[in-house]
Amino acid sequence: MSQFNEKKSKGRVLVAMSGGVDSSVAAALLVEQGYEVIGATMQVWDYSSCDITEGSGTCCSSLDVDDARSVADKLNIPFYVLNCEAKFKTSVIDPFIKAYLNAQTPLPCVNCNTYLKFDHLIKKMKELDCDYLSTGHYAQVVFDENNHAKIKTSTDDWKDQTYFLFTIDPEIVPKLLFPIGHLKKPQVREIAEAKGLVVAKKKDSTGICFVGSKGYDQFIKENVSAAELETKKGVLKRFPSGEVMADHSGIHLYTIGQGKGLGMNYHEKLFVIQIDALDNTIWVGEEKYLLKNEVDIIEAKWLSEIEDGAEYNVKIRYQHQGSAANIYKTERGYKLKFKDPQRAVTPGQAAVLYKNQQLIGGGWITLN
Amino acid sequence: MQNHSGTSLKERIYLDHNATTPHSPLLKQRWAELFEVSGNPSSIHQDSRIPKTWLRETRQKFADYLNCSTLELIFNSGASEGNSSILKSVWHFKQTTQPEFLISAVEHPSVVKTAEHLETLGAKIHWIPVHRNGKIDLEFIKKNISSKTALVSVMFANNETGSLFPIKEISSIAHAAGALMHSDCVQMLGKFDLASLPNKLKDLDVDYATFSAHKFYALTGTGVVYVKKNSPWIPLVHGGGQERSRRGGTENILGIAALGMVMGEIIASAVQVTEMARLRDLFESSVTKEIRGCTITAGESARLSNTSSLVIQGVDGETLLMSLDLRGFSVSTGAACSSGNPEPSPVLLSMGLTREEAQSSLRVSLGWSTTETQIQNFVATLKEVVGKLREINLNSKDQPYVAI
Repeated sequence: MSQFNEKKSKGRVLVAMSGGVDSSVAAALLVEQGYEVIGATMQVWDYSSCDITEGSGTCCSSLDVDDARSVADKLNIPFYVLNCEAKFKTSVIDPFIKAYLNAQTPLPCVNCNTYLKFDHLIKKMKELDCDYLSTGHYAQVVFDENNHAKIKTSTDDWKDQTYFLFTIDPEIVPKLLFPIGHLKKPQVREIAEAKGLVVAKKKDSTGICFVGSKGYDQFIKENVSAAELETKKGVLKRFPSGEVMADHSGIHLYTIGQGKGLGMNYHEKLFVIQIDALDNTIWVGEEKYLLKNEVDIIEAKWLSEIEDGAEYNVKIRYQHQGSAANIYKTERGYKLKFKDPQRAVTPGQAAVLYKNQQLIGGGWITLN
Repeated sequence: MQNHSGTSLKERIYLDHNATTPHSPLLKQRWAELFEVSGNPSSIHQDSRIPKTWLRETRQKFADYLNCSTLELIFNSGASEGNSSILKSVWHFKQTTQPEFLISAVEHPSVVKTAEHLETLGAKIHWIPVHRNGKIDLEFIKKNISSKTALVSVMFANNETGSLFPIKEISSIAHAAGALMHSDCVQMLGKFDLASLPNKLKDLDVDYATFSAHKFYALTGTGVVYVKKNSPWIPLVHGGGQERSRRGGTENILGIAALGMVMGEIIASAVQVTEMARLRDLFESSVTKEIRGCTITAGESARLSNTSSLVIQGVDGETLLMSLDLRGFSVSTGAACSSGNPEPSPVLLSMGLTREEAQSSLRVSLGWSTTETQIQNFVATLKEVVGKLREINLNSKDQPYVAI
């Protein structure tokens, strides 16, 4: 590989490569389409500082970085590892922990997109003289009749990731390329296979990248002092009667709608209805109490202008199918009034609005 | 090797000789001869003759160059192994009576991490400060050395700034207190003319010194340790009696033969050293004139002929490195061992540079094949890239430049 003196006609692209199959295929397709491609992996975790104690076997490794590098080598494109550890900690991990300790169920992927992928990498894109930034998200950029760039859902309904993109600054949308947004996952794997990329058969990443298989409760235990966790203990109360049913060992161990692992035996099926951060009460009750018609959101971000009172299709969690709701401006943010009641509206998650297949924007779900 | 735009590797300009040097063209010329160097030097049959000869002759050439006995040299895998072996050997024999070490704060990780490991076993490490101007704190050494000090370890020249340290003076302080003296000499050969010292390595008066062949135009994976007669030594790798039972494992005979082949060039490298110093001075005067807010770290100290450590205000070193790479220039932001994990250089931080300064640092290290035209091209490109990056930072919605 050598210097990239001459820009190619289609332009230069910085592609965020995680080492997974989606971003690897994104990079491969861009090369095929004639872009001049530069790969980058954001290192968000210090692999070198892993604690290796004698007899413990190997330490966790930066295998994903190696995979991304290997794909970049195969595609013969320059590749760099960007150190984003400090920024990732302050803008993703710290808020993640804080949310759980404040009775919320966080959505760290949105913060990663907001502060790293579509902020830090946008800056790198400019610095490296690139015309575009590309990721392996299942999303599409389309241009309307006025040539305004919009984000549209992926062809693959199941994998669509536009839910995580609602905080993107509309100004940067024309600079984004989502090369796999028009494909379905099996097709992406086929392309990886056909191009001989080492990641073709790699398992999909599930869950939260920095938490891994140990589970978020273990992650919190490792990153929060025992003394602080002690202050999160409280009781489970029956909703709405207030009858005390059992003790619990921390509000961060519960999420709204949870029906399993409540730590008590009871003759009827009970669910977490509400979590009170002030006195650490976990309210449990019958499933019907999980249903709500109204959802309040704050810190909303809009990619397109919204109309007060208009109806949108709204997703209140990633795997939610979406449901019709009208939006109204409030003092603190917005209120969404759903036509059909919604189960397990969870503070800390996002409510994301769509018009047809177009991503309009969204906000963070909060308690009334 | 070609990239998809059809340009080849040869067009690149390599200015990262402190990370590793390219192979000497001599090795390419003698490749067929090198290929014939097979066989196990420990075997008794005649097929061991060629490897045995190379082992003996390379050892002799290296000993002659350093002005030491062949018995005082041990071949191994490189300077990291050498440094680890030395610190662990000294600890092994001295831990009960002399559990303390004096080690410079700017050593290579193979020294620092070994020392930190010894700390967990009960050693006391005194980290000798190195000031921003590149000078080591001799008063600190004098103040902290005692009859409990087992070893003083100070590198011959710093890999990031090129600063040379007064090894002879430090050795005499160490020896007066009854301590041993080690110097990591990895950046010496090919960049400093050892023949300028009348008695060569003897003039440094060290008990241990470490070398690595890939830093002077031979192959990676080949190291040499100088262990002065009667100095404590315990093998890090136990095995079949190679290197007089001081380092087990069949010798890296190809690497050792290649090292032997380049020794002639090393012996005659005074001319290259002078030329690199001229080009380095030219580079520094030109870069500080052309780019405002650009300073040379430890520029006023005695330095190696080939190294410049720059702080370029308002520019992130990591981005600068990538931008230069895309334009065909290979440089470094710090020690190459930590590349892929580009944290600000601990060496520069320990010298008192701020985090911002350390993150705005660039290391340029010249080699024997560096030309004046390359330097001129590099300065012109650096000026252009720095100007562009500063402009982006000024127009950024963020603060002008924030180290993350």
